Amino acid sequence: MPLKLLLQLSGRNILRHRRRNGMMLAALVVAVASVVLMNGLIRGMQRDMADMAVDNLVGHVKVLAPGYRDDPGVQRSFALAADWRSALAPGLLEGWAARLQVPAVVISERGTRGVRLVGVHPVREAVSFLGDVEMAGEFLQDAGDGRILVGRALAEQLETAVGRRLVIITEGVDGRSREAGFRIAGLYDADGTALERAFVFTGVEALQKMLGTEAVTELSMRLHEESQLPQVKAALAASFAGLDVLDWRELQPQAAAMFVYADAAIFIWFLVMMGALAFGLMNTLITSIMERVRELGMLRALGLRGRSVVAQVVLESSLLMLIGVAAGVVLGWLLAQALGEGIDLSLWAEGVESFGMRAVLRPILLVEDVVLIAALSLVLGVAASLYPAWRVVRIKPLEALGR
Amino acid sequence: MSGEEQSVVRCVGVSRIYEQAAAPVRALRNLDFEMARGDFVSLVGPSGSGKSTLLNLIGGLDQATEGEVFVDGVALTGLNQTRLADMRLHKIGFVFQSYNLIPVLSARENVEFILQLQGVRSAVRTQRTSEALAALAIEALAHRRPAELSGGQQQRVAIARAIVTNPVLLLADEPSANLDSAATGELLKLLRRLNDERGLSILTATHDPLVMRYAKRRMRLRDGAIVKDSALSPGTATDPMP
Ligand SMILES: Nc1ncnc2c1ncn2[C@@H]1O[C@H](COP(=O)(O)OP(=O)(O)O)[C@@H](O)[C@H]1O
Ligand SMILES: [Mg+2]
Repeated sequence: MPLKLLLQLSGRNILRHRRRNGMMLAALVVAVASVVLMNGLIRGMQRDMADMAVDNLVGHVKVLAPGYRDDPGVQRSFALAADWRSALAPGLLEGWAARLQVPAVVISERGTRGVRLVGVHPVREAVSFLGDVEMAGEFLQDAGDGRILVGRALAEQLETAVGRRLVIITEGVDGRSREAGFRIAGLYDADGTALERAFVFTGVEALQKMLGTEAVTELSMRLHEESQLPQVKAALAASFAGLDVLDWRELQPQAAAMFVYADAAIFIWFLVMMGALAFGLMNTLITSIMERVRELGMLRALGLRGRSVVAQVVLESSLLMLIGVAAGVVLGWLLAQALGEGIDLSLWAEGVESFGMRAVLRPILLVEDVVLIAALSLVLGVAASLYPAWRVVRIKPLEALGR
Repeated sequence: MSGEEQSVVRCVGVSRIYEQAAAPVRALRNLDFEMARGDFVSLVGPSGSGKSTLLNLIGGLDQATEGEVFVDGVALTGLNQTRLADMRLHKIGFVFQSYNLIPVLSARENVEFILQLQGVRSAVRTQRTSEALAALAIEALAHRRPAELSGGQQQRVAIARAIVTNPVLLLADEPSANLDSAATGELLKLLRRLNDERGLSILTATHDPLVMRYAKRRMRLRDGAIVKDSALSPGTATDPMP
């Protein structure tokens, strides 16, 4: 049977029952749009989580002394050779930072808090959130700068301000505690995230001097392409024998797990929506086909082959799906555009941020996701039509004519 | 009038038994029937006598329980469903009791689509469709959909559809059952003209006495057997048979 004739018949049959097919289409459009939008929001969330996981002090990959993660301290440190980068092919790294990170207690006249005191090289911190964080006051001058940067939230808790002094207690390399006063150079604003309360920064050389060491506790790297991670990890593992080389997924298992859950959530949402819809579609098709049993029987009496009847039913279903999917994708895309500014989650921000998300959620539409959603929908459309087609083709032409 | 190449239809010892829960129904009993090319045969007989059953067997819509049916020299027994469908498409024109047009297609499209099914080229299709519409004097209705046509007009479209493929045989089961007598008269004149002018072989089943008058040969069935077979003088306008 020529495709043109099939298309013509299918198209007109869809138009014949505008109301019924219109309702079916509306449901399809809403479902597809919701899947597209949901997918966009979840992708946005994933992107945020990944960015933040990498942005905070983790980077794509980190070198740590063994045991540091379970028991961080200056004892679990390592000396960084000046030529360590020769182990890596050039051009892989977007940036890197070596840090000395130790647990510490900060004390103001108003309170005491446990934090991580991080010795950094200010210029190198372009790789982390510190690179473009909003600051009140001044940034650190250089690695020898003995002042500190404190998160705004922590400063509020300690009721302190730029220019004031805080006392910091930590453990030296000899196991004895060190105590020193630090002047606050600046307050950083990490969008109200937990980072603000967790980290206090100072110059790495100043901190090394205070603790009596030349070593660092971590080397963090950011890559141009995340896809090169395995290659970089392998090279690092070879040149830093005896140290742990871990990527961000290993360092932030929660964020990595959320990634997997988010993928699953997209898939489940799709299955639930489209599964329900496939049943609706099947019903609509059965109704519309059974109304036409006589007509189809006549066509077969005139010489239309059984497989052409199947083709017509499948085509009709696919056509409905195609229209619904196209309109649904457009609607979903428009909704995503309308939300381009992002959904403000600040009402729930306290809870949200602890999961490593931003307070503003922006949907992201990936072409491959949309293509996959459209393709799966069409497959479902075809699948939903097979049963009705089988039912109608099982009826013999004479029997169908007699109805 | 013997020999396969002469006969458009030949039935040899045909029986059709419907297996029923209560008792099997013998709709046709060991029936022999031959129809010459270019003939116009009218099957008559009371309701339930087996007319439709015979037409369905010849049209390849049903299969004989016993015996052989040949159409255009081809034995239908043993053809699979696809072959039967192709045979129907290429050799037989059907006119049904209810006109059975496709509601979503215009009159013209209803006629043309059968050529599309046959895979005829578009230019040829257009020409042959126009010819068929002209033969039935329904060119003016070409763009209407079935719902916008009267019963008689719809039946003409159905006949145009049946003849557009130049079938070897036209089968019409109670073609006038839903028509008033004026429309029936028109229809019959048309069929007779197609038979006279084109030599189209026509086999109808009817219990309408009007229809019988236009045929060249009348075959009376009763209880699945031929009880009378009579040639009619062409143009016989009156017939006492009820
Ligand atoms: N599908 C069927 N199942 C069972 N019996 C049938 C079926 N079709 C026809 N019959 C029986 O076969 C006999 C002949 O029917 P039919 O060929 O339709 O007669 P006609 O067309 O002359 O009225 C009748 O007794 C009818 O009841
Ligand atoms: Mg009958």
